[in-house]
Amino acid sequence: MTTTAPPSRVRPLPDADTPPGGSGGGTSRRRVIGRTPRAFYWMVVPALVLFAALHTVPALIGIFYSFTNYAGYGTWDIIGIGNYVALFQDDRVLRAYGFTFGVAIVATILVNVFSLLLALFLNAKIKFQSAFRGIFFIPYVLSILVVGYVFQYIFANSLPQIFSGIPLFRDNILANPDWAWLAIVTLTVWQGVAFSTILYIAGLQTIPQELYEASSIDGASTVRQFWAITFPLIGAFFTINMVLSMKNYLQVFDQIIPLTNGGPGTSTESITLLIFRGGFQGGEYAYQTTNAVVYLVVIILVSLVQFRILQRREVDF
Amino acid sequence: MHHSIPRPHAGPRRRRRLLTAIVVTAVASATLSGCAPSGDAGVTTLDFFQFKGEATADFQRIVADFEAENPDIDVQLNTVPDPDTALRTLLVKGKTPDVLTVNGSGNYGQLARAGVFHDFTGDPLVEQQNPAVLDILDALGSFEGDEINALGMANNADGIVYNKQIFEEQGLEVPTTWDELIAVCDALEDAGIPAFYGTLADAWTAIPAWNALGGQLQPDDFYDDLRAEGGDVGPDSAVSFSADYTEAMEKLQTLYSYAQDGYRSRGYEDGNAAFANGESAMYLQGIWTINPILAANPDIELGVFPYPAGEDPDDVRLTSGVDVAVTIGRDTPHLAEAQRFVEYLLSPEVVDGFVESQVMFSTLADAGPNPNPVLAELVPYFDDGRIIGFIDHQIPASIPLQPIVQQYLLDGNMDAALANLDNEWRKVALRSTRTEE
Repeated sequence: MTTTAPPSRVRPLPDADTPPGGSGGGTSRRRVIGRTPRAFYWMVVPALVLFAALHTVPALIGIFYSFTNYAGYGTWDIIGIGNYVALFQDDRVLRAYGFTFGVAIVATILVNVFSLLLALFLNAKIKFQSAFRGIFFIPYVLSILVVGYVFQYIFANSLPQIFSGIPLFRDNILANPDWAWLAIVTLTVWQGVAFSTILYIAGLQTIPQELYEASSIDGASTVRQFWAITFPLIGAFFTINMVLSMKNYLQVFDQIIPLTNGGPGTSTESITLLIFRGGFQGGEYAYQTTNAVVYLVVIILVSLVQFRILQRREVDF
Repeated sequence: MHHSIPRPHAGPRRRRRLLTAIVVTAVASATLSGCAPSGDAGVTTLDFFQFKGEATADFQRIVADFEAENPDIDVQLNTVPDPDTALRTLLVKGKTPDVLTVNGSGNYGQLARAGVFHDFTGDPLVEQQNPAVLDILDALGSFEGDEINALGMANNADGIVYNKQIFEEQGLEVPTTWDELIAVCDALEDAGIPAFYGTLADAWTAIPAWNALGGQLQPDDFYDDLRAEGGDVGPDSAVSFSADYTEAMEKLQTLYSYAQDGYRSRGYEDGNAAFANGESAMYLQGIWTINPILAANPDIELGVFPYPAGEDPDDVRLTSGVDVAVTIGRDTPHLAEAQRFVEYLLSPEVVDGFVESQVMFSTLADAGPNPNPVLAELVPYFDDGRIIGFIDHQIPASIPLQPIVQQYLLDGNMDAALANLDNEWRKVALRSTRTEE
């Protein structure tokens, strides 16, 4: 009590000006004990305002425009659900969905397999552990557009010379309508593994060492330890990685621009690329906004389904 | 004590505050005097939106000359990357520039139809334009279909660029019909020289040839009829890509069969460098590649001839677009000053100097002779008005034309490509008729 006394004697001065607060010490104690301190609510306000102004409001405006024929400039009228009717009859949109989901599923699986293996390696007792962790995180820091142009050069110029015996690589995989997606997945995985690895390392560090000691006394092999201890105990991290990866790769865009720009033909045209092309370059702003609104709902649904399925198999200790 | 403690703090703080105030005032006044019209009552500031990044230096010179002659007008030259998006952003904000240069593309047509630009009808400048240029601009679109919303300043040309040294060594003549072109290709093939350098990795590089062949081989008024069909375009409609574009597509594929090995994986930059180094005899591009090619090899001797699509040399038309058009914002408060500036931009001396520097063609009816020898073979087509516009400007930007043509050249499935074009046209037409109701 003696330590708290001097501050409480200083505080009443400013507090005295605030009208209904009552006498200082009592109020502040009630603020803390009764419920969450009001200050915490005020701390949330700036983020809330920014989120609403920069995210929620634009999203609502976008939803509104999806019911208009706005071209991005000039006059417009409200046209009801016409854009939605046209959207569901547009085979180009369906093709883009097919491509996007294919890439997203393959990339999600590969990213999680590789990053889990990498996390196990980086969490083991190896030399230069933190140096390796730093090196493997570099891809995440680099701009994907810059890396994309480097990969584009590798696929278009280096690989054709190195693998001049393999037709797929010799003829520039990026110009191959059937396999160009593989190049996009390669770049996506190369870049995406870094972030998932960090999350998995964090997860691995939450597992108590005693479990491994106890199980090794019981004679469990390393593989058995992984499936019986490690994997179940990082379940929550597995869930969040799967959901985040899927959500990110459903929005694949940056990788495509430098590598194929949607080509050859429209074989690597993702939904987001289609929205950008049609909406900003094709003068069909409202129509592609409709596409974006529908896609927002699809992504939310996919994420919810993933959460439901994956959380069921998580274990808590 | 209580009063003496704050003082040592207040001193520096007040001094710092004073310093900040001085700095802020200084910066603000500097910025303001930089932005605001310089205080002279009689000076009008014109906002000049200039889209062509390659021509910035030319326009800086032109603007400086104009300001020297017209001290009462201050022209603010703005050149931005991605001008289409930048202009749309300005329009959304209601900040239409006073004077603009625009590219004569489908995009220009959209904006003109939306009523963004001034109507030049009755302006004496219209009389000075090459009528073919006015036709090209009119075909792109105008407000309510009967205004003149822009005037041409420089025209480009879509022709086959060829290497004069290789043609001379092989004893080849410039072809004037399709059969002669194929004969040239066969002769080059026998000599082991690729006729063309293909760069299909960049989808758009197939479009110059497609434009030239399609524009010459399609039925008259094809796009007017296609627009009239609108949402009914398909295998059974009176006009369609499937019915009317087979010859152009077949001939395009034939040209690419003479391209070098690996043409599928090369890009535009590769093509410019390779053609400059004599790796092929011809190049399926337009006159916009001349400067990049000369940059890679200043000693190359170039010529350009129009794509000969048919059997009669007299039917050959040069595909040409208005590369730089000049226009005025519809509601500019400085119309008289803007008109004076446009009149200066389109005066014969300015246009001649500009097209010479940019390796392009004058849009004026009585243009001075273009001194560039590379373009010499194309000049008669302009003088006789034997020019047609780019057909891809008639196709809405939301149709993926470039990818479809690229895919066709890769897989050779012409029926699928043409059906795809018909289908996309039908869908876009349905969406836009729906929106106009």
